[in-house]
Amino acid sequence: MKLAESYRQMRLEVSQFLTSRQTQKAKKLVLGQNVNDGLLAKCIILALLTVIAFLYLKPLIYMVSTSMKSVPDLIDPTVGVIPRTIHIKNYIDGWIGLRYPEAFMNTLIIAFVGSILQVFSCAITGYALARLKFPGKNLFFFLILVTFLVPPQITLVPLYMVYSKLGLLNSPLVFLIPALFGQGMRGALFIIIFRQFFLSQPKALEEAAKMDGASVFRLFFRIMLPLASSACLVVFLFSFIWYWNMYYEPSMFLSKDFIPLSLRLSSFETELMGNWAINYSTAVGKDPISEGPKMAAAFLIIVPPLVVYLIAQRWFTEGIERTGMVD
Amino acid sequence: MNSIKERRRSYLQFRWKEYGVGYLFMLPWLIGFVLFVAFPIGSSLYNSFNKILITSDGFQYKWVGLENYRQMLVVNNAYPIILISYFQEMIAIIPLILVFSFFVALMLNQKFPGRGLMRAIFFLPVIFATGQVLMELFVQGAGELPFMKEYNINAFVEQFFYGGLATTIINVLSKAVIILWYSGVQILIFIAGFQTIPKSLYEAIRVDGASPWESFWKITFPGMVPFIGLNAIFTIVDLFTFPFNPVMEIVGRNMFEPSTGYGYASAMAWLYFGIILLLLGIVLGITYRATKGNGGIR
Repeated sequence: MKLAESYRQMRLEVSQFLTSRQTQKAKKLVLGQNVNDGLLAKCIILALLTVIAFLYLKPLIYMVSTSMKSVPDLIDPTVGVIPRTIHIKNYIDGWIGLRYPEAFMNTLIIAFVGSILQVFSCAITGYALARLKFPGKNLFFFLILVTFLVPPQITLVPLYMVYSKLGLLNSPLVFLIPALFGQGMRGALFIIIFRQFFLSQPKALEEAAKMDGASVFRLFFRIMLPLASSACLVVFLFSFIWYWNMYYEPSMFLSKDFIPLSLRLSSFETELMGNWAINYSTAVGKDPISEGPKMAAAFLIIVPPLVVYLIAQRWFTEGIERTGMVD
Repeated sequence: MNSIKERRRSYLQFRWKEYGVGYLFMLPWLIGFVLFVAFPIGSSLYNSFNKILITSDGFQYKWVGLENYRQMLVVNNAYPIILISYFQEMIAIIPLILVFSFFVALMLNQKFPGRGLMRAIFFLPVIFATGQVLMELFVQGAGELPFMKEYNINAFVEQFFYGGLATTIINVLSKAVIILWYSGVQILIFIAGFQTIPKSLYEAIRVDGASPWESFWKITFPGMVPFIGLNAIFTIVDLFTFPFNPVMEIVGRNMFEPSTGYGYASAMAWLYFGIILLLLGIVLGITYRATKGNGGIR
């Protein structure tokens, strides 16, 4: 009898507790009003993303840790991610093997000048497609889409012939001249970005300028291009990164004289293989002696774009949203 | 006292002046297009029907019709086999990238502390995806998913799928992380896509008593279909210069080989393009049908 009563009492208390305001508030805080805005959901998302991010960055961590290991550390299976001693010599080897200063300048010329030319030529084309009137505009736009979809493999052979006719092979001009004419690395994509950007701008500004008697050129260079500075920056950054990272095109068109970093890395590899061929009998590529310098060299290549990214991170990740590329 | 004719003429003059400015703005692109796209495509197609000999006084073309294609498909049929196995891989890679980037973008779209940092991390691989560096990482075995070895996934796959399919799956799994590194831009596009779905729609469906699960499938997913299509196309284009794409290297090698030459290399590239076009057609077709069924967003 007494037991039943105390039980009833307890239930009442519990239900009172559960419906009290503070509990409701706490519940709302943890579980949230919707599924996705409670603390619990946030913690789960954060945990999940951290795990995925770790998987995602694992090769990078591996690269950095290997590049700092000495040969004994690499052979020793008890040494995990963190090396026992930081082995700077790998980086010196990598620096010399890549002939870093020269190759760096070569890559920088292609990436920097090429990107500037590309921003300029793509902005002009994008503006024409967005705002100027002329017959055949849709056809031009269609052709730009086509250039985006045609694989470079198709045009590789004839382009080689064209470049050799124009005398561009083995010089940076082989990338700069196409960039000047809006056909640089992924130029079609950048033209589309600029077109979308100019389409999203209000027309009133241009009309006002036209009323005041500004010519189209003045209008474009004085008003529209400065207005598009955020789009220009996004295009410049993406173009810079993609030029920096390209590998196949230079391996085809720059075989001597003007060698960028990515090609130096592969010749550095063969050099290392040659030097140590006597010493290693393990599976190809996985020899501990050349692993350290190779990874150090690879890391040296990605440092400059990494620095650019750290400075301009905000524009990269927000850029695509802001320029309204996806519409 | 202008006659109608004169007025029309001056009007046309005015119009063409305007058009002229437009064409002037298009001129650089047009020159580039003719020189670096249209001419190469045309000449590559023409080359693929020719046997090209390099002699002391330039190139010598000999029309051979479909001989290059016949050679490639029937006589030395190593290339079609490489191509088919690469496309099998591609068909596995594209959904992998799409699902992964969709999932990550969905999470990155929520509000939580450290979101900016997470976004930065998932975009990071775009920064250093040099073909050569990626190859190096793959050779060292850093591209594997870490649990592959521990759980012996390879044996598991071999047991449940037959021959060729198993090799494809193992190939893809062995470079899974590097493949996922190709989803940086796709994640950004998806995040931008989520912003295009109005918040009020979600509120409305919640008032109507739909669970979050239902609201995802009824609102989020249909709204994202065009972006999935866009990303699929972007992925296909991105994979042209994928470091594990064998076509580029094979074409380049055959170009300088005296026994095969420019014509044969061009034919190889066109076969590749044919299959790419097929793939693009399928993606566009699916996207088109999916959006039409939902009242056509876009």
